Amino acid sequence: MMELLVPVLIMGGIGAVLASVLVVAEKVIANYGICKLTINDKKELHVQGGKPLLTVLREQKIFIPSACGGRGTCGICKLKVLEGAGAILPTETPFMDQRELAENVRLSCQVKIRNDLRIVIPEELFSIQEFQTVCTRITDLTYDMKLFRFELRDPPEIDFTAGQFVQLLCPRYKGSPEEVYRAYSVASDPQQKNAIELIIRRVPHGICTTWCFDFLKQGDPVSLNGPYGQFCLGDTNAPAVFVAGGSGMAPFVCLLHHMRNKGIKRKAEYFFGGNTVKDQCLQAEMSRFEQQLEGFKFIPVVARPEPDSGWQGETGLVTDAVRRHYTDLAGHEGYLCGSPGMIDASIKVLVELGMKKTSIFYDKFS
Amino acid sequence: MDNINAELWLMVVTLFASVFTNNILLTTFLGMCSFVSVSREVKTAAGLGAAVVFVMTLTTVLNWLAYYYILVPLHLEFFRFILFIIIIAAFVQFVEMVIDRYSPKLYMALGIFLPLITVNCAILGAALFMVIRQYSFIVTIGYGFGAGLGWMMAILAMAGIRQRLTEARVPRGLRGPGITLIIAGMMALAFVGFTGVLK
Amino acid sequence: MKESPEEKRLEETLRSSQMVAGGFMGTDPRRPLEVIEDDEDLLDKLKLSIHTLGRRMHELTDLAIPQMGNWIDDPRQSRLRVKADDYNGSLVCPWPHPGSYQKRITTVKDKNTGRIVSWTDLNIHMIEAHGFFEGKGAFFRIEPAQIAAILFPDLT
Repeated sequence: MMELLVPVLIMGGIGAVLASVLVVAEKVIANYGICKLTINDKKELHVQGGKPLLTVLREQKIFIPSACGGRGTCGICKLKVLEGAGAILPTETPFMDQRELAENVRLSCQVKIRNDLRIVIPEELFSIQEFQTVCTRITDLTYDMKLFRFELRDPPEIDFTAGQFVQLLCPRYKGSPEEVYRAYSVASDPQQKNAIELIIRRVPHGICTTWCFDFLKQGDPVSLNGPYGQFCLGDTNAPAVFVAGGSGMAPFVCLLHHMRNKGIKRKAEYFFGGNTVKDQCLQAEMSRFEQQLEGFKFIPVVARPEPDSGWQGETGLVTDAVRRHYTDLAGHEGYLCGSPGMIDASIKVLVELGMKKTSIFYDKFS
Repeated sequence: MDNINAELWLMVVTLFASVFTNNILLTTFLGMCSFVSVSREVKTAAGLGAAVVFVMTLTTVLNWLAYYYILVPLHLEFFRFILFIIIIAAFVQFVEMVIDRYSPKLYMALGIFLPLITVNCAILGAALFMVIRQYSFIVTIGYGFGAGLGWMMAILAMAGIRQRLTEARVPRGLRGPGITLIIAGMMALAFVGFTGVLK
Repeated sequence: MKESPEEKRLEETLRSSQMVAGGFMGTDPRRPLEVIEDDEDLLDKLKLSIHTLGRRMHELTDLAIPQMGNWIDDPRQSRLRVKADDYNGSLVCPWPHPGSYQKRITTVKDKNTGRIVSWTDLNIHMIEAHGFFEGKGAFFRIEPAQIAAILFPDLT
């Protein structure tokens, strides 16, 4: 009996010793303690070390944009890390150019917090807040676009300039086991601070639009963060040409609210392109804006009107309509929102008609 | 003094023998799994090879100590399989933790391969050979290092060959592991040529 | 069989549903490299290279972009009609290199047979640069045989 027991006990003992060495090592070596993050030499945060910088900042409600969820394949989560990150890793170098390497730009998902860090975060990212909201209304605009209204709960108000966008947190749902953020332009009145409205177009097999269209119900809680983006109406009084397609509608609704609020009387003509009559939307709102805003005109353009639709308006591509409408655009400003294809084609037409490149402002879907 | 010199000489001979004539991969076919699956690129193969050299040298030494100072006095030699395995596993875990803590760059180059090595049979094989062949402590150092080096050399050669093979028209059924095993066989044949060079 | 750390990381990224709904692998149990090798075999059988295929896909997408979602006939193969729909946002390549692609779906229809194939800009890149057609069951998996039957009917 003893002959059997003793060896087993000895081996068990050796195993236990090795295991406890590992446990102690885990506590001592793998414990990074509390590390200090100095942000822009102004703000200090004390955080538990050992995790990637991106994750820690997100926990601190500082939202660094990222598209791959911290896997080091999108290269978007770049930040300047001035001190404490050590040498740049081979997983980061493919994403950096010479200037970025010289300026200590790092991928925040690859930098593990091992000690105190000094980092630079662009100021505008600090004004970004997270909002807990409730979806209170879902309206069909077209067969593939819906307008979603979210009432803010915490914090109860948002400040944004017309033309900015927010990110919506798409939660886990059947078939999509991970949380993702996706950006959408705000389509509501900037004066209305307790709610925002988004116009969302369904993306075939899109993660977030599928959730919004098929799973989100009125009364559901939704988490948003923002505002982001620099697309906005300039201060000049130059006559403006707006060109949009699809969900590019959203920022212009917001700009029009803004113009009405501020009593901006500048001339503005809005060309909204759709492939069929079914793609047109918000016509009632647009004619209301036409009444409220002296210089505003809405020009819907349909590329291929259905034969039985009785479409009376402009036909062809939206750029064709612009070309037919103007002979000289010198001194005009152009505002564009839509797909890169539409934007590139529009810029070409606007420039041909005499508009200066510096007077063209656009928000590509990207 | 003569004794030590003889030992050192034996160590050097064993080192070279384990790289060439007794290459652990090409003569005993140990560690084939990672050899076949991680030999697509020279860069990756070099990382894994270096990690094997490092781990093999240190674990054979640790296992020698554990064997002769724990198992032999207690007459528990038959437990060496279990002891060697847990020592290798614990050591690799420990090293991974240390590298991750102190050198992110080394971790990227070497550390990420460590989990692959924990269950590499060449590591355990080297420890067992060291017992069977009754190496002394000093010879064991040379043997562990040499066996690791031999393994690294073999995987580097294989990765070099496979990189050149990417453009070759390999018959469909042989692509991937198939052709790799055939190449390994030919390399092994080539290494037979070293037999007799060193005892 | 064991995987190298890079392969392991790639597989995790491809299977994650963080970048595209359902991930790039769909329900495919094979490893990414096996998927790539198997599809390479299929293309080899058709005597079609990923470069030829990629170039043709580019050509059709570029043809369709200025039409902003409207159908256009292909001047090279008159039985083909093509359109490209743009959506809000972009997709990044799951391989570890910089590369961001507009969410744009190009649809090609063979007027004679009625067969349809569609791809995203990211599909073109992944096929050209990585030989990856996505795993079976992924929403944007492209079957080499199907796309070849439509774009290169002489080969099938």
